[in-house]
Amino acid sequence: MRPSSERQPERSDRPEPSEAVVTRTIERRQLHPERAGAAGDDGRIARRRPRRPPGLPWILPALALSVGVIYYGIGYTGYISTLNWDGISPDPPHVGAGNYTRILHDPVFWDAVRHTAEFFVVTFVVQTVLGLVFAVLLHTRLKLAVIYKVIIFMPVVLAPAIMAPVFRHMFAPDGELNSVLRHVGLGALAQPWIGQTSTALPVIMAITVWEWTGVTFVLYYAAMTQLEQSVLEAAKMDGAGNIRTLVSIIWPEMRGTTVALAILGAIGALKTFDVPYLVTIGGPNYATEFLGTYIYRMTIPLDHVGYGAALSIILLVAALIISIAVQLGGRERKARD
Amino acid sequence: MRLRLLPRSAFRPLIVLVAAAAAATCLAACGSNGPSGGGSATSGTINWWGWTPTDTATAQNYISAFNKQYPNIKVNYKLVNISDWVAALRPALLSGRGPDVFDMQPGAYVTQFKSFTEDLTPLAQQALGKDWKSKVAPIGISGLTSDGKLTAMSVGSTFAGMLWINEEIFKKYNLSPPTTLAEWEHVCQVLKQNQKGCFVQGAAQEGFDQDTLQSIANSVQPGLWTKASTGDAKWNDPGIVKTLSIWKELFTSGIMQSGAVGYQQYPDANNDFLTGKYAMVMMGTWYTQYATSKAMTAALSAAGVSGAKPFPILPIAFPDVAGAGNTSEMYGDSDFGLAVSTKSKSRAAAETFVKWMTTTTVGQQVVADQLNDLPALPSVQPNFDSIQLVDPTSQTTPVQDLIAKAAKVTEPREALLSTDVQNAILAAATSVATGKASPQDAADTLQKAAEAAGETFK
Repeated sequence: MRPSSERQPERSDRPEPSEAVVTRTIERRQLHPERAGAAGDDGRIARRRPRRPPGLPWILPALALSVGVIYYGIGYTGYISTLNWDGISPDPPHVGAGNYTRILHDPVFWDAVRHTAEFFVVTFVVQTVLGLVFAVLLHTRLKLAVIYKVIIFMPVVLAPAIMAPVFRHMFAPDGELNSVLRHVGLGALAQPWIGQTSTALPVIMAITVWEWTGVTFVLYYAAMTQLEQSVLEAAKMDGAGNIRTLVSIIWPEMRGTTVALAILGAIGALKTFDVPYLVTIGGPNYATEFLGTYIYRMTIPLDHVGYGAALSIILLVAALIISIAVQLGGRERKARD
Repeated sequence: MRLRLLPRSAFRPLIVLVAAAAAATCLAACGSNGPSGGGSATSGTINWWGWTPTDTATAQNYISAFNKQYPNIKVNYKLVNISDWVAALRPALLSGRGPDVFDMQPGAYVTQFKSFTEDLTPLAQQALGKDWKSKVAPIGISGLTSDGKLTAMSVGSTFAGMLWINEEIFKKYNLSPPTTLAEWEHVCQVLKQNQKGCFVQGAAQEGFDQDTLQSIANSVQPGLWTKASTGDAKWNDPGIVKTLSIWKELFTSGIMQSGAVGYQQYPDANNDFLTGKYAMVMMGTWYTQYATSKAMTAALSAAGVSGAKPFPILPIAFPDVAGAGNTSEMYGDSDFGLAVSTKSKSRAAAETFVKWMTTTTVGQQVVADQLNDLPALPSVQPNFDSIQLVDPTSQTTPVQDLIAKAAKVTEPREALLSTDVQNAILAAATSVATGKASPQDAADTLQKAAEAAGETFK
């Protein structure tokens, strides 16, 4: 704690600074001559520090919320991850890093990691291409553009819980997709889409692309309104066609949006739960198991709360690493350019 | 400011008054209550949570009959899907704002929730006498008891190990119920040629995979499945490996429907059978209720079929798929017991309801006539004079035979299996079905998983 003379310098009844304090102040001035001006030359400690409005009261509510809820929650999850706990027992045994060691030897965990990576790559690439193309097309003088925008964005506002039964029905062996295939003479392609390991994950990816392309489109559409018209016109004057303009002018200008979408997509992939849980319950045979569904499976139906907490911590660390890596990657490219 | 305390002697009259009031309250409250107290035994509101009865109409039927005797106890039934059961119940019980009465399934759930349940042994003794165990089906006691504590009173039992067929489809294509694997394949070929589904199973749900596997295992070597469940045999025993091989054959021979490993038994397989898309399904005695016109009509409506005509369903024995000449015996557990929460504020009323449902002839008769469960009191039998079957001519004898046969069953169904082992069985079943593992590899993995889960083997 600082001496009262430092905390309340403006009070008129303050005591005179002691000799020791003055000595320390002089020493600091010698060490940091650039800061000496702030304290003035008269040796008065009161003027040594610039006056700033007190910030703590303003950030206190947010700080309390963050520390009290989020960071406490993370810390508590970290603690639970060292227990062999069913979520109810009052005195669970400590297992140290035992849960983490088991996770490293758990084939379902590695399947979930692989599914997450494949899911991110495919959904991000497809959504980016579709979102960019839709945004470019709707920046042209297209008739009924408002209706197209609504159609593209509509899936974003539809709850997965509502759409899941529809998709279960659509991709069932006697569902609408197979029915359409049979009617157009492609009956040989009809198959139990969510009932076999080879097609279940692609179906989950397709549903996710359908659901989230609207967000990608909106962000690219908004970013394109910031493009300098003069640059586009200059490209046109230089003889660049539509595709060349898209690839060489528009796409590089969208880098910030793409990086943001990549971060969101990566975190979204790590957190994926609703669609695979509601449509395939992580199956068949773990073919659509993601970290989110596996955490739920271990924590709730199987009562391995400690193991589930360890999986959650791994997910958190992975999300942080990926976010930082993508962010740094984007900055480095920007700096190089 | 400093409080000025009165001398201790000044408090004496107050202490006496409070003690007297407390004693009077206790006497008033306890005098008319059951053994545990907690509110009035004849009035109040209790919340009952369950995954079964799976339709609220059946639960309301039970409650209406209960209210004829206890009109001042209001029972609110909340149906929770079995897949959400643990997720919903655990926080509710932990918070103290959960149900007063809740369903209890023998086996894994008893271990999970026993700390939240009253020991109902005194209630059973009070209702049925000191020899209460001799008056209740034994299968309803063992599975619901843990560490000497009777966590719930069994309402009734269910049994599996047979198939249900759509009689109209079998008649239409002049088919006989299959008794061997070859006959089963033949039936499915005929139905497939006629663009009709044969056998439907929700192979993505462990409980129903277990039923089919246990039936196959009983055909391979009777009692082996139970031995593996108790640790007297290993899960990679040659008999279990053969069971998994036959399970695989159900998929490769076209008996199991396409995409079965992505199917849920409820609602997918259930709806497909009830809407007439498939001719056969693996269900237990709980399906007997759909032999009645009333329940079948309600089920068809729930399955999304409007104006559909109920059709007769018949139970048939599980085919001798191993060809070893073994009749595949049935197996079963208490379907569900009713547990009383230790945190209930209406404990006496909750106990009244549980006692009425599980130990009175009137309550058990309502349960029996529903044909969802075989009643916990063996002395109570369904009254077929008041039960209207869809086609009494063809259904009465098979249904009555089934109930008589089930009453003698002693082999447990799921009561011996932990959630980890059940999960490992599902993984073995789906990995074999999808070709990701051979029967031997899957059995070895299952054995390792069971050992890792703390199961011990001889």
